[in-house]
Amino acid sequence: MSGVTPNDLQDLDDISKKEVMSFLQAEHSKQKVQMSIHQFTNMCFKQCISSINNAELSSQEDLCLKNCVNRFLDTNIRVVQSLKNIQ
Amino acid sequence: MGLSSIFGGGSPSQQQETLIPNDNSNVKTQLKNQISQELAVANATELVNKVTENCFEKCLSAPYSIGQDGCVDQCLAKYMRSWNTISQAYIARIQQASADGDI
Repeated sequence: MSGVTPNDLQDLDDISKKEVMSFLQAEHSKQKVQMSIHQFTNMCFKQCISSINNAELSSQEDLCLKNCVNRFLDTNIRVVQSLKNIQ
Repeated sequence: MGLSSIFGGGSPSQQQETLIPNDNSNVKTQLKNQISQELAVANATELVNKVTENCFEKCLSAPYSIGQDGCVDQCLAKYMRSWNTISQAYIARIQQASADGDI
């Protein structure tokens, strides 16, 4: 994995630099979503999956996972709103 | 590279194109492939760590004298299904917020 050297980057023209920047920004946004999904799965799996009896999710487990994400996001929004109001 | 391909990295950067120096589009392609590949590896690593942590917790207990391969296999499958459920719920929520003009 030593394909691109710093010199190669400096030699890019402005249009290419812009293209690379917007690629990076897009990947960064996607990666933030990915990391949140990692975090939520880790957190909600602990709370919602009580026993490992088979490889399928039960309908309660599935519903619990969905609720877990949605309530976490509600909480996040609530906290941000409240902090805004204090300011 | 089986695992990283789950996260969309992989094949393009595998065939090391013969890089002509100073060729803009070649450098760009290489750079993009390299970034995608590294992100895919980082995501796969994170997933392996989280699955290991959670399934170790759910399937094994002190004094850890016996393994629980069957449980770990089922736990992994459950974790992947949970990942899908969570991902769908979260993305639906993002799309809703964006349709409502909240973000």
